[in-house]
Amino acid sequence: MLTISDLSVSYGLHRALAGVSINVSPGEIVVMLGANGAGKSTLLRTVAGICAGQADGKIDLSGRDLQSRKSDEIVEAGIAFVPEGRGIFGDLTVWENLMLGAYSDRGRRGKEKNLKWVLELFPKLTERKSQVARTMSGGEQQMVAIGRAMMANPEILMLDEPSLGLSPLLCTELFGNLSHIRETGMGVLLVEQNAKQSLAIADRGYLIENGEITGENAADAMLEDPAVQAAYLGGAV
Amino acid sequence: MDILISGLLLGGTYALMAMGLNLQYGVARIMNLANGEMLVLGGLAAFWLFTASAISPLITALVVAPLAFAGNWLIYRYLLLPLVRRSKNQGQLEVDSILATFGISFALVGVMVSIHGEYITYSYLADPFSILGSTVALNRLVAFLAAATIGAALYIWLNRTYAGTAVRAVSVDTEAAGLVGINVDRISALAFALGGAVTAVGGTLISTFITLDASIGVIFTMKALIIIIMGGVGDIRGAIIAALILGLVETTVATVIDPGLTLAAAYVIFLAVLLFRPQGLFGRRTS
Repeated sequence: MLTISDLSVSYGLHRALAGVSINVSPGEIVVMLGANGAGKSTLLRTVAGICAGQADGKIDLSGRDLQSRKSDEIVEAGIAFVPEGRGIFGDLTVWENLMLGAYSDRGRRGKEKNLKWVLELFPKLTERKSQVARTMSGGEQQMVAIGRAMMANPEILMLDEPSLGLSPLLCTELFGNLSHIRETGMGVLLVEQNAKQSLAIADRGYLIENGEITGENAADAMLEDPAVQAAYLGGAV
Repeated sequence: MDILISGLLLGGTYALMAMGLNLQYGVARIMNLANGEMLVLGGLAAFWLFTASAISPLITALVVAPLAFAGNWLIYRYLLLPLVRRSKNQGQLEVDSILATFGISFALVGVMVSIHGEYITYSYLADPFSILGSTVALNRLVAFLAAATIGAALYIWLNRTYAGTAVRAVSVDTEAAGLVGINVDRISALAFALGGAVTAVGGTLISTFITLDASIGVIFTMKALIIIIMGGVGDIRGAIIAALILGLVETTVATVIDPGLTLAAAYVIFLAVLLFRPQGLFGRRTS
């Protein structure tokens, strides 16, 4: 279980996160909704160990303190992150990307099992395995990114706006795939602008505004909440 | 034909030294201006052991490689890693590393002058050898073959092994490399050390047929730089082609026009590349 307590992050004088506390349990999909600049990406990047800002607070994964660790140590501890823009190795092949996903000791242990799982979830990657990742379409690159993160055998998978730049059809496919990931027992922490589709697959949601958590509820309750509807769902569902 | 053969042989050795700088700049993101001094050190070691104990430079290369690896690892770990850690972006790291390695190059030149201030020259396998109807010095051919073997081994290691793939991953994207669990600092140190070792071995080989001296390193740094920029940073195939082109052009100019103009010719190609293909021969334009 990922527990973040009272996390604050500043970039110089600018405070991006102020006292954020959230948690994600195994097998649970948690979505974080917020406007641009609300601090969603900062939150995920801080947890993943690639945030340039000054962080203060507690990040705990099943009893291990992960605050201010390096990104490779955090992957080893069990948190995989798909950054915004996917962060795949464009010059390497699909296969090399997936294999590198299992670079950590943790990933190496579950390599065969996870590879089988990833290729079942994204059968297209099998036929594309020797293709250079950069030459693939946005949706396929997103599959590589998610597949690579799952190869790290994480307890918690974090995704920063995975639907960004995808067509409505691919979005639907993406969220369908994400809801399957839950079956492996992984916890998923998702940052999204696509509130409707992400809430539809999520168990719980948080609202974040100006670096602070302003609401937390079960996902279906959030879908019905008039305030959420007004702010993130374009008025009506 | 003579020009073609000796040009290609020279280019092959250039390719090896450029591969060294390519690893240091492409993976560890250190523009190492002391690269040429590392090359001269490799040559100095060969000269030393050959004149003192008649040890073949090919044997010396086996000694130079681990020593240069260890030395470059220490340089990265203790002099350059602090710069990497404090730099906020690639531009700042580039400025810092250029200044730092420029200083290191002076220090190394000083050390080498104090060891051996004269020309580094000796006669090893300077026999004529006939190949495809042309006559070349045997040492050039041996150096080329050794360079080609090392280069091919490096290429296969980078492209066909898991460790090599991790090195390439760091060169593509350091942040993403960290996110898959790669210890970027460790891989960068490895690449920097390996690059230094490759360059030093290149120097050992080059010293069998080119006269070096303690302060000539900067010329080789510039040549390596020209090759890398012509071939495209991080592109080994491009660097090999670029090195062969440089070897050919230098040999042609030296034979047909005047040996004094080789360096000028190198800069002319360099300028042409910067003007017309700044992304390198095979490089993609950065989007």
